[in-house]
Amino acid sequence: MTKAQTDSVQKLTQWFLIALLAVYTFYNLGPIFWLIISSLKSRADLFAMPPVWFFEPDLSGYQQVFGVGAAAESASAFGVLDSLISSVVVSTVGTALAVILGTMGGYVCSRFNFTGKNDFLFFVLSTRMLPPVAVLVFYHLMFARLGLADTRTGLVLVAVFANVGLATWIMKGFFDGVPKEIEQIALVSGYTRLYAFFRLVLPMVKGGIAATAGFCFIFAWNEFAFASILTTTKAKTLPVKISAASGATGIEWTQICAAGVVLIIPVLVFFYLIRKHLLMGMTFGVLGRR
Amino acid sequence: MAKIELKDLSISFGAFTAVDKVNLTVNDGEFVVYLGPSGCGKTTTLRSIAGLVDATNGDILFDGERVNDLKPSERNIAMVFQFVSLYPHLKVRENIVFPLKARGIPSSEIKRKLDWVTEVFGLGDELKRYPAALPPGAKQKVSLARAVIRDPAVLLLDEPLSAIDEQFREEMRWELGHLQRELGVTTIYVTHDQREAMSLADRIVLMNNSKIVQVAEPDRIFHKPDNIFAGQFIGSPSMNLIDLVPAPGGLRLGDSAIVLPEAAIPADVASSSQKLRLGVRPRDIRLVNEDAAGSFPVEVEDIYSVGRERYFLFRIGDNEYQGVDHRVDQGTGESRIAFEKDGLIFFNAETGERVSAMEKAA
Amino acid sequence: MSMQTTDATATMRATGKPAKKKSSGRLMILGFLSPTLLILIFMVAYPIFSLVFYSFHNFSALRPNAGMTPAGFDNYSYLLSDPDLWQRFVFTGKFVFLCVTLQMIIGIFVGYQLQKSFRGRDVIFTLLMMPMMLSPVVVGFLWRYMLNSEWGIVNYMLTLVGVGKVDWLGQTDAALWAAAAADTWMWTPFIILLATAAFRGIPETIYEAAEVDGASQAYVFFRITLPMSAPVLFIALILRLIDSFKQYDLFFALTGGGPGSSTETVSFAVAKTAFNYFYTGEASALAVILLCIIIGLSLILVRHLMKLGERY
Repeated sequence: MTKAQTDSVQKLTQWFLIALLAVYTFYNLGPIFWLIISSLKSRADLFAMPPVWFFEPDLSGYQQVFGVGAAAESASAFGVLDSLISSVVVSTVGTALAVILGTMGGYVCSRFNFTGKNDFLFFVLSTRMLPPVAVLVFYHLMFARLGLADTRTGLVLVAVFANVGLATWIMKGFFDGVPKEIEQIALVSGYTRLYAFFRLVLPMVKGGIAATAGFCFIFAWNEFAFASILTTTKAKTLPVKISAASGATGIEWTQICAAGVVLIIPVLVFFYLIRKHLLMGMTFGVLGRR
Repeated sequence: MAKIELKDLSISFGAFTAVDKVNLTVNDGEFVVYLGPSGCGKTTTLRSIAGLVDATNGDILFDGERVNDLKPSERNIAMVFQFVSLYPHLKVRENIVFPLKARGIPSSEIKRKLDWVTEVFGLGDELKRYPAALPPGAKQKVSLARAVIRDPAVLLLDEPLSAIDEQFREEMRWELGHLQRELGVTTIYVTHDQREAMSLADRIVLMNNSKIVQVAEPDRIFHKPDNIFAGQFIGSPSMNLIDLVPAPGGLRLGDSAIVLPEAAIPADVASSSQKLRLGVRPRDIRLVNEDAAGSFPVEVEDIYSVGRERYFLFRIGDNEYQGVDHRVDQGTGESRIAFEKDGLIFFNAETGERVSAMEKAA
Repeated sequence: MSMQTTDATATMRATGKPAKKKSSGRLMILGFLSPTLLILIFMVAYPIFSLVFYSFHNFSALRPNAGMTPAGFDNYSYLLSDPDLWQRFVFTGKFVFLCVTLQMIIGIFVGYQLQKSFRGRDVIFTLLMMPMMLSPVVVGFLWRYMLNSEWGIVNYMLTLVGVGKVDWLGQTDAALWAAAAADTWMWTPFIILLATAAFRGIPETIYEAAEVDGASQAYVFFRITLPMSAPVLFIALILRLIDSFKQYDLFFALTGGGPGSSTETVSFAVAKTAFNYFYTGEASALAVILLCIIIGLSLILVRHLMKLGERY
């Protein structure tokens, strides 16, 4: 092949790749776009066929989500404030605890060799393998017996359990990236390992902690299966509340879309803030140091 | 094998000019070493010859043909990088034959070449290992084997020994020089280590601030540096620089009372009317007895030994200078020194150029 | 502090090894792992043992006071002889295969394009991550809304390009593809994230060396990029495999298991048996079967992963 020919082949390939990427971007962002559009539509516009692209924005979906304005008194009011508090409490406390435990476990697994280390790593990951519905049968009974049913404490416990495995693995990866000499220098200087861990190593994995927290938060914030079965009224989280909008009168699409938009905003902001750390460290340490 | 020419080569990154109008011809089979402080543009030049960086201006010619627009893979070059760039997921054998496999060379040919480099580099047991299991020196050996297995026209080496232990580095240096002569491949080697440059190079290209300072054989660049930078950069410890002031009967050393007699000054220097600066290497300064000719008194402030050599710090006027000699009876305090006559190098204090019109013309 | 550090390095050089206290290390291991272990025992080991126990009994959580009667292998033999269960396994298998294949291929492709630096990459990257941040329930409802055969946007667009309307959620095969499309929509970003991170972890010199060595782009991708990021991609594969295997939320919102019970995954069936019919014993048996499959699969995969990691 001549140089000109290779060049044109390369250009074609390039355009083909860009086209594929464009198709994927459409598939990825289209539904998000539609979600936002639909959250602003009135009931009539929602079911219009062909779909209406220009319409008068109708905020009733959002009003219902927050239980304000015209929806404050109506029967279909979402009454979301309690659920919002539940969601925030459960996700933040659950995430914090899971990250703390994951950081401790990840550090120990990164630095020490001890019998049963691999078993431990497999065991913690099993928290992600368990199908919620499988253990739910048991949790349902156990929580009732312990008085944890329909409490935020119970859901926090679940959030910790569900995320500690992934947190341990991700944090181990970040610790693997910190040279061991950091602690060795501190140790020979007469500091304790605990001091070295808190004052020297932890500050070096701040980004990793943020990334881990981001992940755990996404999962905890969106968790549905456990919350739907372990709560009945008081501790309902937002995703459970949303599913309740598909009640007797049919599915409240506007509410669901509005709630979806509201749910994604905190995660999106957080994610944008930690994006660098996600890209640097999400390799679970399996790539080693090179 | 190839002859490489750089013509007015410039490379800029935004406002920063990394390489500024460089001209150079590397002859077929020559071993040229780029030497200079970090950030001087030597690695950038090498990478542009490899095709990893685009030239902003000027031409790169291989055997008279412009290669600026060719991709690295089309230039028939091989390169060894400063930091080990072996493929960690491939065994050593697969690493070495990678360039051949990537080009779809038949396996019988690959086998023959592999046997050859294995013998040249003494790699036997290593072939079945993963790179991570090898010490740094052995890794670079494998990198080198991977580079030469394709008979490249040009071999480019970017500080290949800098990540290796001192001891093994010495050994690798000998081997590398030997190998290059055996293969006869045109080689460009980048380093900031002057000892590597002096021992390996047919010619040294000294760079500073994006420009070539001097191109010369190692001996010549040491004894006849074109300017103050070349004089100071090469040689260890570094060359002493003393300002010279015209005085009756010769040239006065700095702000001291010592006068360098006219007899010690070459004719062409004496006749020049420029402001001068004297360069003298520490090993060209001797501690002498009272009566030695051309000697003068100094104050020795400090002294220490490295093996057989005695390093001493002395003062002329307000400035401190360094000397190296073998005398063991010398202590600090009043003493006399003398300069080796051949060791005096005169520079123009303003331009930094060496003052020796005749030399330069030749 | 800086003084201390210098001292320390000096001591280290002098003695050749850092001072090490064995006992403090062991204490730290114990102290740092025990809270996690407690949670694991309380929330994983204990439930699993109880599940196994329940699975050999006739028991309903609705009437805990009625007690349990030993049932031997009755629950299991009943389940294993039930053709519906096999149908659920086949459906789950198809779903897992479709999801994992689509997600890995698309995720690796897009991740490879996104590892290159270009203007606005961070913003595009964050935007592409959005589906993953939504609650699975919202995702289920959103797709159900878009896939509605009468007024859904998907069918509208299909009619625009001349393809007829498809009754997505009313036929088993179409519903399978719809569910896979929704799951792939939601989770491909996760693969993209991990793949991009893995690809960016490969040092630039490796690529330069390959370029000088004369490898084509495709050759570099298949011989260097993919194998070098294999461990991370493998973890991504494991996580997605497990997650799609236990997928429940999505079907809950998207198909509700329908039409009929044809899109009920095994997980879905467990939930239905346990919380609609309250056959706790039978649900436990089914959960145990599901657990065995997932844990067995994970064990094989994780072992393979450890082997992959050892090389480097």
